[in-house]
Amino acid sequence: MTATSLNPEPPVRVRIRTHRLVLYTVLVVVTGLFLGPFGWLVLTALKTPAELASAPVHWVPAHIQWHNFADAFDLIDFLGYARNSLIIAFLYAGLVTLSSAWVGYGFARLSAPGKKTLFGILIGSMMLPQMITLLPTYLIFAKLGMVDTYWPWVLWGLSSAPYLVFLFRQFFAGLPRELEEAAIVDGCGYGTIFWRIFLPQSWPVLSASFVIAFTWTWGDYIAPQLLLSTDKSTLAVAVMTTYVSSAGTPITNLQAAASVMYVVPILLIFLVAQRGFVAGMSTTGLK
Amino acid sequence: MRPHAGAPMSRRRFLSLSAAGAAGGAAALSGCAMQVSSGVGGGSGETVTMMVKADDITPDLVQQALKDTGIAIKRVDFDITKLIAMLTSGNPPDLVRGVGAVDAAYFAAREVMEDLDPYFARSQVLRRDDLDPVNDLWRFDGTTQGKGPRYGMAKDFSQDSMYWYNTSAFDKQGVSYPAELEPTTYEEWLDTAQRLVQRSKGQTSLFGGTYNGLLKATLMSTLTASAGGSLFNDDFSRVDFTTPEARKALGWYIEYCRLKVGASPILPDPNGWDGPTYQAGRLAMCNSGYWMGGMIATDPKLAEVSRLAPTPVFEGGPRVSACQAGTGLWMPKKAPHKDAAWRIFEWYFGEAPAKARASGGWGIPTLKSLRPLMPAKAEHQKRVLKVQENELKHFSVVAFSPYTTGDSFEALFNQVAPAAMKGEISVDTLAGRLNSVLNEQLKRGKEQVG
Repeated sequence: MTATSLNPEPPVRVRIRTHRLVLYTVLVVVTGLFLGPFGWLVLTALKTPAELASAPVHWVPAHIQWHNFADAFDLIDFLGYARNSLIIAFLYAGLVTLSSAWVGYGFARLSAPGKKTLFGILIGSMMLPQMITLLPTYLIFAKLGMVDTYWPWVLWGLSSAPYLVFLFRQFFAGLPRELEEAAIVDGCGYGTIFWRIFLPQSWPVLSASFVIAFTWTWGDYIAPQLLLSTDKSTLAVAVMTTYVSSAGTPITNLQAAASVMYVVPILLIFLVAQRGFVAGMSTTGLK
Repeated sequence: MRPHAGAPMSRRRFLSLSAAGAAGGAAALSGCAMQVSSGVGGGSGETVTMMVKADDITPDLVQQALKDTGIAIKRVDFDITKLIAMLTSGNPPDLVRGVGAVDAAYFAAREVMEDLDPYFARSQVLRRDDLDPVNDLWRFDGTTQGKGPRYGMAKDFSQDSMYWYNTSAFDKQGVSYPAELEPTTYEEWLDTAQRLVQRSKGQTSLFGGTYNGLLKATLMSTLTASAGGSLFNDDFSRVDFTTPEARKALGWYIEYCRLKVGASPILPDPNGWDGPTYQAGRLAMCNSGYWMGGMIATDPKLAEVSRLAPTPVFEGGPRVSACQAGTGLWMPKKAPHKDAAWRIFEWYFGEAPAKARASGGWGIPTLKSLRPLMPAKAEHQKRVLKVQENELKHFSVVAFSPYTTGDSFEALFNQVAPAAMKGEISVDTLAGRLNSVLNEQLKRGKEQVG
C-alpha cells in the first residue's frame, strides 16, 4: 500500500521503547496518585501551624520542623499505645492465620455433606458490614466480662477470618493429591497431614495471611475504640483522638507527624515479608 | 407514653436510641428510687469511669484527682456508638461528656440522665446560688430546655455569637473598627466583611470574616432568636424556616455563604476550623467567643491587634447573646458509682481543675465565684474582659429541641442548603425543603421519645 510505503512502520526496538515509555509514564502517574496523600501527610508533618494556614499554599515547608516528630512522640504515651497495638496485632494475626489455615484445609481437602453451602455462607459473611454487628458484639463481650481486655482479639483470632480461609482453601486445593495419599498410606491422620505436610509447604500464604491480618488489626479504629478504655487503647485510636489543644482544637501538624510514625511498623513488616506476601497472593490465584 | 421506671428495655426503645444515631440507652430505666449521694467526700477508693475527650481530662488531671479525692479515674474516649452500647448493656460510664446546648434536652427526654438537683442541694462546693445562668442549658422540664431539674453542668463557656477582629486588617483597608460595647447589625457585619476581603488571581489572601457558629442547629436557632422569633414551635416538635424571623436569619446566612467572604459548607476551611486561619493573619473577623482568647494570648503580636466584639443584632431585633455549646458532664441514671462520680463532678467543676480553667482564659467559668480568676493583667486581657463582662448582661438560653441531635440537624442542613449557597435555588425554596427534611426527623424523634 502506498501509505505503508510512505510511512513505514518503525522498527520493533523503537516500538518496544515507545510502549515502555507510555507504560512507565502511566505507572509513574498512578504511583504519584497513590503516594500523593502520603507525601502531603509528610509535608504537613514538617510545617508550623502558621505555615499550614498560609496563602498561597506552601507546598514545601520554608523551615523544616523535624522536632514535630519528637513533639508528637512526647505529647502522648506513644510507646505505650504502640505496645498495645503490637500486642493486639501479633496476637490476632498469629492466631487467625493458624485458625484460617486449619479451616481452609478442611474446606480444601475434606468431604462432608453441605460443605459447599457452608463455604458459601462463610464467604457471604464477608459482605456483612462491621457497623451492623458492632452493638451486638459489644453486648456479648460485656456479658462475658471481656470489655477493656484483649480477650476479644484472642477469640476473633481463634474464629478464623473468611477472606483468609478463602486464601488458604485456594492454596491447599492446588497441592497434589499424591502428597496426602502417600501420608495416609504411611498412617498419618488429617491433623498430622496438616501440620507436617501442608503447613510447611504454605509459607507464602502464611506470610501473606499474617501481613494482611496484622494490617487489619494495626489499622482498626472501631473495635479498640469500642472495647478498650483510653489507657489500654491502640495507636490508631490515640493518633485520631489525642492530638488536641487544651481547648479541644486539633494540632494538625503533630497529628500528621504521629500518623507518619504510625505507618512505619506496617512498612517494616511488609518489607520483611514482602517476598512471601507476593508469592502467597500469586499462588492462591488471587493475583 | 414514656416507659416506666423499672420496665425492661423494649425493642422500640432500643431502636429509638440507636437508630437516631445518638443517644443513650435503653438502659431499662432502673427506676430504683433515687438514691442520693451523701455529698462531699463520697466514693474514696473507688474508680470512676469518665467518657470524655482527650482535652477534658488529661493524664495529669487523673493523677491529681486521685491525690485530691482518693478516687481513681478510668478514661474512655467519647464515642456516641460506644455510649449507646454501654447504656444498652446496663453498664454505662459514671460521667459522660456532652454539649449542653444540644445534648441536654435530647438525653433528658429519653430519661437516661440522673436528676442532679438533690446533689446540688447538698453540695458545699457547687452551690446553686453560685451557678452561672449558662448552666441552665443543662436543665429540662420535659418540654423546654432551660427550665426544670438540672442534669449536668458546663465546664466553661463563651457567648458564641460574638466575634474577634484583627485591627491591622481593618487599618490596611481603612475600615473603621466596630463599636466596643454596642453591637453592629448583621447586615453591617456582612458589609464590613465584603470591604475587608482580599482576592488575587482567584485566591483569597484575606478572608473578610467567618460566621458559622458552633453547630448549624444552634447557629440557626440563635440567629432566629436575634431576629425576634423562634425556630421551633411551642413544644419543639417542628421547625419553621418560613416565619419572617427564621426566613430573615436563613437569608442572611445563605447570603454570607454566597458572598464567600469566609469559610462555609461550600468553602470549607482546610484547617477544619478558622482559628489557625485567624492566627495566620488571613482572617479579619472570626466568629468565636471569649474562649478563643486562650489561643490568641499565646501569640503576643496577635493579642495586641485582636479585639473581641459583641454579638451582632438584626435591625429591629432584640439583643441576644447565647452560648451555643456549654460543654460539660452528665451522670447516667444507671451509673454504677454515683457517690464517687458526684465527688469527681464537684472536684472537676468547683475545685482545682475549674480554677485552672478559669485562669487559663479558654472560657468563662461556670461558677460566678471563679470569675475573679479570669486573666486581666495584660492590657489586651483587660480590653477583652471589659467587652465580655458587658456582654454577659445579654446572655440568654436559646432552647433546642429534644427530638433531634445537633449532628443530625447539621447533616440534614448541609445536605440541603449548599444548593441555595451556590445560587441554584432560592432561599424560600430552601426554607421549604429544610422544613420538610427536618420536620420528618423531628417527627421520628418525637415518636421515639413517646
